[in-house]
Amino acid sequence: MTFETFLFVLAGGLVLGALYALMATGLAVVWTTLGIFNFAHGAFITFGAYLAWQVSQTEAGNAGYFAGAAAAVAGLFITGVIFHLALVRPFERKPNVVLLSVITTLAGATILENAIDLVWGPRSKQLAPMVPGDATFFGVTTSKNQILMIVLVLIILAAVGAFLRYSATGRAMRAVAQNREAAELMGLDVPKLYAGAFGLSAAIAGLAGLFVGSIHFMTPSMGTDPLMKALLVVIFGGVARFTSPIYAAFVVGLVEAFSTYYVGLYWTPAVLFGLMIVVLIVKPEGLFGKYERSV
Amino acid sequence: MSTVPLLELQHLSGGYEPVQIFRDVDLVIAHGTSTGLFGPNGHGKTTLLRTVSGVIDPWSGNILFEGKQLNRPGERGRRRSRNLNYDVFTRRRMNPKNVARAGLIHVAQGNLLYRELTVRETLGIAPIAARGRGEPGDLTEKALRLFPRLSERMNQKVRFLSGGERQMLSVACGLIAAPRLLILDEPTLGLSPKLRRELADAIQAIKADGVPLIIVDQDVDFLKSLIETLYLFDHGRISGRIERADMPSHEEIMRMLFGEVHS
Repeated sequence: MTFETFLFVLAGGLVLGALYALMATGLAVVWTTLGIFNFAHGAFITFGAYLAWQVSQTEAGNAGYFAGAAAAVAGLFITGVIFHLALVRPFERKPNVVLLSVITTLAGATILENAIDLVWGPRSKQLAPMVPGDATFFGVTTSKNQILMIVLVLIILAAVGAFLRYSATGRAMRAVAQNREAAELMGLDVPKLYAGAFGLSAAIAGLAGLFVGSIHFMTPSMGTDPLMKALLVVIFGGVARFTSPIYAAFVVGLVEAFSTYYVGLYWTPAVLFGLMIVVLIVKPEGLFGKYERSV
Repeated sequence: MSTVPLLELQHLSGGYEPVQIFRDVDLVIAHGTSTGLFGPNGHGKTTLLRTVSGVIDPWSGNILFEGKQLNRPGERGRRRSRNLNYDVFTRRRMNPKNVARAGLIHVAQGNLLYRELTVRETLGIAPIAARGRGEPGDLTEKALRLFPRLSERMNQKVRFLSGGERQMLSVACGLIAAPRLLILDEPTLGLSPKLRRELADAIQAIKADGVPLIIVDQDVDFLKSLIETLYLFDHGRISGRIERADMPSHEEIMRMLFGEVHS
């Protein structure tokens, strides 16, 4: 393996890592606030990509990339709130809400995927890159699109992190996550904060969909694999801090890139899940600490 | 205005489905007076207060705060089957958010607060209940003067605080919420005598500031110094009402509740 190949694989791994970080962070926002896993997160990614495509790249709408991103964020926020009200809220006071919401969100994901299939058809589509052309660093050529994507992902993650850390609403979301009853007694509007966290998570998924759609093909089932990887990242890295799934995402992305090169494409998922099992045996709370949110 | 009591409970019953904990509680708290609740452990004092602040739904009866009804009137909807999800069909009969925002603040028993938030962040959440009621200014300064220990701990996470400090933080949060009526459920539970005195002094200061209290405690002598009326609570009912003038000592109360055996 030459140094150039190494850098090439490394760049690929970083791109994957950035994507996974965005997906996993969205998933972690719901997991740490509501205490449930949202299996519709993958379908949210798909829906975001299709919404952006509809607004920015078709005959009917070619309002440009920015409008596409805005449509994905706004549309997915609303979708997230609706999903929460219809699929999670009715079971909120049940003791087995975690299990119930696995099934209901899975059902929601299937319905949303099929709806996308009905509306836009199964033919694969692609979002044009945000910026055309390639750039060369140290003899490695990557598309400018991917570099811009990594930068944007980091900016988005920093913004979400700052929102949770410093804004009053973010602080309230963290408080509700840790002690719902104390938050209620202090006059916080818990149902609204739950719906907001779900909407925020879905909006992040919508942006992730926009990026996935610009480097892979879009199909109605394009969200399945990212959901798998996001789950892997969240369990693998833990959610002790806002940053833990982000680190874990880059680890998973790099492992995936190198494993694809050395072990082969078909065995890469096995490598990743095998690695996750080993990590969980040694460190059950995840690589970066406990299943409890601090920031 | 003066004829409308601050808080009035009419025939209030409640509990944790399907177990009834307290029944037919009638209680009137006049403006500007503080009330004590005294009774053995496990007889429903905390459940009653949790119902008043809306954490759990009342089964029947009314909760009136400054003349405004806090719960939806009427009997609770009965669950006729264990197999149906009644949460979907029955609306909550109370909303703790509205209770807190009306100014009825409940500092829960053994409140664990938010483990991973810092003291500063926790105090930052507290004024939310006071907003929108046009309460004057920020009371955080005042609360910190009352509990100087907390200002040394501003950047620590709540889970690193001692039990006493956490209790102080709970009471401080209650104070910052600008209560019209402050419920303190066993604020001195499990504290050392020294911390107990410190907290008792702070509660005295809160009362001296004109905040009416409902306070639950096992120490009658501590209650005596704070309240005008004492309600005895026994087996889910109010079994007696004593004015401050003829408030007995700890031993006498024990006799009243348990008979001669325990004296």
